[in-house]
Amino acid sequence: MSARRWIVRAGVVLVLLVLPRMIYPILAVDILAWGLFALAFDLVFGYVGLLSFGHAMFWGTSGYVTANVLLRTGLPVPVAILAGTVAALILALPTGYLSIRSAGIYFSMITLAFAQMVDFIARQADRYTGGDNGLPGIPRPPLGPIQFDNPLHLYYFTLALAGLGYLIAARAIESPFGQALRAIRDNRVRAQSVGYNPRVQMLVAFLLSAGLSGLAGGLHTVGHGVVSLDAVNWSTSGIVVMMTLLGGTGTLLGPLVGATLVLLLQDALAFSTSASGVVTGAVFALTVLFFRRGVVGTLLALDLRRRAGERFLGPAK
Amino acid sequence: MTTMRSGAALCVLLAAGSAGAQYSAGGIKLGLLTDMNGVYSAISGPGSQKAAEMAADDFMKANKEFAGKVTVIAVDHQNKADIASNKASEMYDRLDVDAIFDTVNSACALATSAIAAQKKKVFIDTGAGTSELTNEKCNKFTFHYAYDNYMLANGTGTTITKQGGKTWYMIYPNYAFGQNLERQFRAAVEKNGGKVVAPSEATPFPNTDFSNYLLKAQSLKPQVFGTMQAGADLVNVVKQYNEFGLKKQNIGLAIGLLFESDVAALGQDAYQGAIATVPWFWNLDKAATDWSRKFEKAVGKKPTFDQAAVYSAVTQYLEAVKRAKTDEGEKVVAQLEGRKFSDFFAHDAQIRKEDHRTILDVYQVQVKPKSEAKEDGDYYKEIAKTLADQAFTPLSESKCKMAQ
Amino acid sequence: MTLLFIQIFNGLVNGAFYALLSLGLAVIFGMLRIVNFAHGALYMLGAFTAYALGERFGLGFWTSVVIAPLSVGVFGMLLERTMIRRLYDLPASYNLLLTFGLTLVIQDGVRLIYGISGQPYAPPPQLSGATNLGFIVFPTFRLFAIVVSVVICSLTWFIIERTRVGAVIRACTENPTITRAFGIDVSLWVTAVFGFGSALAGLAGVLAAPIYSVDPLMGSELIITTFAVVVIGGLGSILGSVITGYAVGVLVAIGSALYPPIANTLIFILMALVLLLRPSGLFGLQEAR
Repeated sequence: MSARRWIVRAGVVLVLLVLPRMIYPILAVDILAWGLFALAFDLVFGYVGLLSFGHAMFWGTSGYVTANVLLRTGLPVPVAILAGTVAALILALPTGYLSIRSAGIYFSMITLAFAQMVDFIARQADRYTGGDNGLPGIPRPPLGPIQFDNPLHLYYFTLALAGLGYLIAARAIESPFGQALRAIRDNRVRAQSVGYNPRVQMLVAFLLSAGLSGLAGGLHTVGHGVVSLDAVNWSTSGIVVMMTLLGGTGTLLGPLVGATLVLLLQDALAFSTSASGVVTGAVFALTVLFFRRGVVGTLLALDLRRRAGERFLGPAK
Repeated sequence: MTTMRSGAALCVLLAAGSAGAQYSAGGIKLGLLTDMNGVYSAISGPGSQKAAEMAADDFMKANKEFAGKVTVIAVDHQNKADIASNKASEMYDRLDVDAIFDTVNSACALATSAIAAQKKKVFIDTGAGTSELTNEKCNKFTFHYAYDNYMLANGTGTTITKQGGKTWYMIYPNYAFGQNLERQFRAAVEKNGGKVVAPSEATPFPNTDFSNYLLKAQSLKPQVFGTMQAGADLVNVVKQYNEFGLKKQNIGLAIGLLFESDVAALGQDAYQGAIATVPWFWNLDKAATDWSRKFEKAVGKKPTFDQAAVYSAVTQYLEAVKRAKTDEGEKVVAQLEGRKFSDFFAHDAQIRKEDHRTILDVYQVQVKPKSEAKEDGDYYKEIAKTLADQAFTPLSESKCKMAQ
Repeated sequence: MTLLFIQIFNGLVNGAFYALLSLGLAVIFGMLRIVNFAHGALYMLGAFTAYALGERFGLGFWTSVVIAPLSVGVFGMLLERTMIRRLYDLPASYNLLLTFGLTLVIQDGVRLIYGISGQPYAPPPQLSGATNLGFIVFPTFRLFAIVVSVVICSLTWFIIERTRVGAVIRACTENPTITRAFGIDVSLWVTAVFGFGSALAGLAGVLAAPIYSVDPLMGSELIITTFAVVVIGGLGSILGSVITGYAVGVLVAIGSALYPPIANTLIFILMALVLLLRPSGLFGLQEAR
């Protein structure tokens, strides 16, 4: 079992290394950024069991801060991204603290409310956000040998940072902290009775999620060289939910796979003039109805079933 | 569509034929980047794609040496600036697109413009109105066709005020476009001796209910009620303007930005009497009507001015490529700059070298009642005209770095 | 002062729509715990059905105002029967996501048939024009909309809280097992209630058609505001949603008169405040933690 896992992981890493040769590099950058965003979202959705409808506020805030640092100061790209990530974390403190106090649909609504407020501020503060026009043409000064105008350089830089984010998330999930989260998700009272403090754990998870979303948002902004109000729009929060669900919540690779599928779908739809809304909506609805575990989740379940069968009947001849 | 083989064959032909002509293998690729499915799809969308294709076909028919060489690729940016920037990048890099047209959305236009400058390839915006494209954010490879805020405000504000509409009250949507347009309108009105009787009101954006503002207009009783709203917001304003009976109280309607699809949404009787400035409309004159009939046959609907602009822009671009004997960005730009021309869409037009703003004659139109319409879609009656050299921002006021 | 009064009155019109829409949503969520994101799309379908009935069959407003809500109600029941009921055992989030997907399909489907720009729809001749109320000359149709909204909301509240039918519905949702033991077909009642909630959305759509633009996206911004209203009022409280609907309508009208940019966000600020101070909403009965 362990060997299989390592093979799968190695396979994924291999694909990621050659991805920009297979598809348009900027699309590959998108996949990395959104994949990280989806994983960050899933930290709260899959492992804590709370559906946040406001994650765009972290992605977008980081995007705008990153953009402003690059536009107004000569600081290097990684510093700008770091600034964005920190901004997202700062935003997550009050919003997380206040949101965690609610559960279920109330949590979703409160996060949505906060996100709408951030949207409003972004719209109003047009000196820093460009308002409806957004901030196009963001400069990305070279970092040593890395030229950000070169799509391949950009991709591998993003891969490094996104990979780092992914590793942080993976460590958190597979650590005792992650297990505590799952315990809280499954039965909060019981978790409390064995000594866990749900509020603290959930807040930490929320902060981690927000920080990684911020990292993803910064990478996305650098990757595109533009940031606009779409980054803080509630539909962005919706898209990341769809990616996670499609790929498989509660799995490490699921969000990445989901992001890839959604982005490839979006890419294909961009070149056809037909019913993009119908297709997207149908994919979404069908996923929720029949395919809830997502691609990775379903594969894992199939694998589990096969192995359980194997144990009972002996290996297949 | 061109395949690699015919592209290569063509290159041999061209190399043998025209001396010194250098076109990229695969021919001249035109990109149509716009909103295909969303709120602007009626203004631009698949219709713009068809217009571009028609222009390419007509050019190839008139210039046999280009036959089979020009192709159009249409891409949907879904009104998202990051998708627009992505797709523009991809079109220029991976798909070898030589020039991108339309965009229709200001944020997308600005994003595409930045990419065009980076990749050193041509971008001609027809549908988006932000005057920043030829001012603060101007660059060597970006061209602005059809309309912009200054033209709209200057045309409508001046004409109405001069014709007797002296007292005004305006509302505008609270974002860059609306704020900018209102400012320009106010300037035009005051410059011509008019007066804005109360501070203009910013409305939430988007918004469906404008009754507050209409009631205020009722109490102020200006001669003109100006609305800077566009799209669905505009439709709601006009619907409620009629509902509250402002026309009966002799409060005229001035519309900042009006598209044919807005009129279709309510029927022209709802807009009757309203005045706006447009660069063109389908039955402006015989040349326009002839072209529009061809378009209508191919698409099934009458063209909007954005779609006509796309045809015109594509044609001008291809002509510039022919003159430059290459599709290389900088050389085509040199051929486009300063170009004077007149076609079915743009009369007395010139592509200004200093800021890449295309100036053309524009028209103040008034919507006529359905009873006066000779056929479906016959919405406008021309009431005045602003000549090209007065319609757009004077160069002395330009904030474009290239113009300094 | 008169202007403020006028603005409050205007706010009541908006409030009438919020109340009617959130009533439908509250019925569906409060009774069935289904987070119906498609509510805005159903509202839009109500308006388009009225338009289509007029355009294709020449049926006027008075006929449409009966037929359209009924058709939307039937459509809602179809959705519930075929898709939504599969997710009852799962957390409410899943139904939210499903109905979100359905919304995209419905909106884009209507766009493909009718285009993205609006379609014209006029109020019936008996209700067009304006009425002089003394302090204000107000469009008659808007007054009609307020009246209809108040009547329907009161009727619904009365039915659910004070009649046997309402008691059955409340029993079905509070304890389906025992209710079933009494011989009541719970699943049928659930479908019927979902249909009723959808019909309310459809009715709001028909009422909106003469005053607001009838286009495929007319419900899309409205839906998150409606959710906010229901949450503020308290999930599970019919009265709460209705009262909050009117209150929010008035507050937003005043807000947008004083500082327009905040109009669209005011409701979320309100919602955040209410949830932080009273997690179950103003009139709510559920435990929110």
